Amino acid sequence: MKSLRNLPEILAPAGSLDKLKVAVSYGANAVYVGGQKFGLRTAAENFTLEELKEGMTFAHEHGAQVYVVLNSFLHDKDLAELPEFVKYLEEIGTDAVIVSDLGVVKSVREFSNIPIHISTQASTLNAESAKLWKKAGATRIVLGREVSVKEAGKIKREADIEIEMFIHGSMCMAYSGHCVISNFTQGRDSNRGGCAHSCRFEYSLEGLDTQEKKKAFFMSSKDLEGLRVLPAFIEEGIDSLKIEGRMKSHLYAGTMSKVYSEALNYYAEHGDFLSDKLIEWEAELSKVSHRTYTEASLVEKAGPESIFNERENSSDGEWQMIGTVVDASPKFGIVIEVRNAFNQGDELEILPFKGPIVKIKANEIMDITMKAIQRTRPTTLVRLPYVEGITKMNLVRGKL
Amino acid sequence: MKLTSYARSFHEISVLKDQGFEEVILEPKSLSRFGKLSNSEVESFSKRARELNLRVLIEWDILMTEDVFAAKIPDVKANLSCADALRVQDPGALHWAIEHANLPVQFIAENGNHNLKALEGWIELSQGKLERIILSIELSRTAIEEYVTKLSVPCELLGFGRILLFYTPRPLLSALTPEKMAVNEELAALGESEESPHKGFPIVENQHGTFMFHIKEFCLVDYAAELSKLGLSFFRIDQRWENPNRLTEVVSLVRDFSQEGFESLKNVYSQDLMRGFYLVNKTDVLFPKLKNSRLQGRDANYIGEIIEAEKGSHLAIMIKNPKGLSSTDQLKILHPKGEIFEAKIYSLRNLALEEVTHIPQGQVALIQFVGGVWVKSQVFFNNV
Repeated sequence: MKSLRNLPEILAPAGSLDKLKVAVSYGANAVYVGGQKFGLRTAAENFTLEELKEGMTFAHEHGAQVYVVLNSFLHDKDLAELPEFVKYLEEIGTDAVIVSDLGVVKSVREFSNIPIHISTQASTLNAESAKLWKKAGATRIVLGREVSVKEAGKIKREADIEIEMFIHGSMCMAYSGHCVISNFTQGRDSNRGGCAHSCRFEYSLEGLDTQEKKKAFFMSSKDLEGLRVLPAFIEEGIDSLKIEGRMKSHLYAGTMSKVYSEALNYYAEHGDFLSDKLIEWEAELSKVSHRTYTEASLVEKAGPESIFNERENSSDGEWQMIGTVVDASPKFGIVIEVRNAFNQGDELEILPFKGPIVKIKANEIMDITMKAIQRTRPTTLVRLPYVEGITKMNLVRGKL
Repeated sequence: MKLTSYARSFHEISVLKDQGFEEVILEPKSLSRFGKLSNSEVESFSKRARELNLRVLIEWDILMTEDVFAAKIPDVKANLSCADALRVQDPGALHWAIEHANLPVQFIAENGNHNLKALEGWIELSQGKLERIILSIELSRTAIEEYVTKLSVPCELLGFGRILLFYTPRPLLSALTPEKMAVNEELAALGESEESPHKGFPIVENQHGTFMFHIKEFCLVDYAAELSKLGLSFFRIDQRWENPNRLTEVVSLVRDFSQEGFESLKNVYSQDLMRGFYLVNKTDVLFPKLKNSRLQGRDANYIGEIIEAEKGSHLAIMIKNPKGLSSTDQLKILHPKGEIFEAKIYSLRNLALEEVTHIPQGQVALIQFVGGVWVKSQVFFNNV
């Protein structure tokens, strides 16, 4: 049996306070969050100062850490506003900040003692670079997604610094921090949170063929999925495994945290992964909205097969988030805040924080006033009969 | 203000000398993003440049994962004797050059680095070995003026040339035409995005990856005199994709600008020109519109969110405030469209439909319906 201390942490995205609670409850060892400024997800809900404090308390009470993203490339006027925020972050017990910009690194060091993680946005790709950031005061490097796990192991050993790698989620096609398409074509600074996702659109390419233009989504990347690479991450001593997606749903935050933490815990207990468990976990990952999965550069350099040459599909796929359990007790049943409507007789799956998925058939549905109903509507509360083990914040999905 | 540029032939080296340049940038194929020169060509070009009293700057600007980095070191070492200074962009290359190369270093800080503190940081980390810093073209005139005044090393700025928008190590063009890449060292195409009216983005794929440029080229020749006055030390002219003979015209305009000459250049130039963000950078001006307005005003008075509104029956509030909600509290409810409603609580029930006097944080409170209020409305204390 492997010691749990040797296992990497699972670091989940939390685009809002609710999602933080979901990710931590489903097993994430740490979450990364953004305040209202200084991060790269301007359009995400993000956290107010009060919510940051509450999120920090909740995570710490559940044994999880909270890292706050300050990973924009700041202009001087933005930097001037940073010290007060940094002091506040230290006051509320922030476990680390995630930074791309050397000016921000210097400011954080000047005004606090918060540990500094260098963001993937800085595209740190090699040990020499890691050594330089260490000299600048970094305690951890979030490597660029172009680095393989084996290379990451070498960087860790040579630079003697904590290493974090992405294991799951959407990917920039460009070296992170080295794409300014939005800046120059839309007037939105992609490196200050204004990325317009130009890489996801279709392009007509002229000149490749003499006869006609070729149409392709040639700059769009498939999504990263590194479940089968978990043993290599552990073998190379990677400290933290990051899941991308602060803009993504509660179902995403919960499912990813649950699957990857269960997989790691299984490894800790058994020292290996059995194929039937892998298939089960992969099935879970496939139930969340995603582009086609790839291991990208985790094992070998990402090649042509890593391009997602398809139009984005806005639907959530076959499985959809039905809602969240807002409370559950034998006294009043399971109360669900409905996001996507379901009908009497539909098969639903409830994800407990730990253990197997609970499958139920929605035979008896009541509205909140206890009146029996046959159909539900989005943005309403409904009751289902109580099931042992189901609790507040559990997620419900269905194949609609 | 001195001029700097690239050369890919003996002829181009001679042109630079004739135009009064004091240095030349050489790009080894294995180390430079768009390099065309073998190590032996770098050696002979360097020799020729030095004979003409030109300083030789070797550009090592590719980004490298660990294994690529290790594989490039022999090439870097092979080129060191040809160089009077190394130009690097990967912070790893910067660190290696500081530690291992007995040469002055020029750091390409063109990505990000939009604040003085960051630029000063790179100088501090370089332990006195940095002889030049290459600034981002996203900086405004005001920022450039401040930086060239306050930084302790000379600054360089692209004055004329292509704008690189995107750099990936992945082979994006050959993925579409694998048979072509098998016989070519480089693929090129023009791209047109469905999302924007812009047409003709130049795209290049080579051994280092795929690069996309803006349809317009960056041009500050009409501001060259101003930049010189501001204190900029080096003005870079990049004509690697243009008719090499065009360099003379550009240099002439930089040294002695005339609107007539500029218009004439624009008429014959292959690309449209732009000055980017030189006058002002407002690339964050749209951000407030991307913000979620529902969050505004969430403070200690914030109670929670309406998660169900059943007309004539009840409102369900998810209580998020640590104080919870009491039956004596007065409420201010903010509709997603901005309308504000004030309400007293006449009925407070829990999920078991029991009348209670208090609902704690994390639970659902059911109160009477308030006309006009809808789901996603935000609820605040309105206590006097």
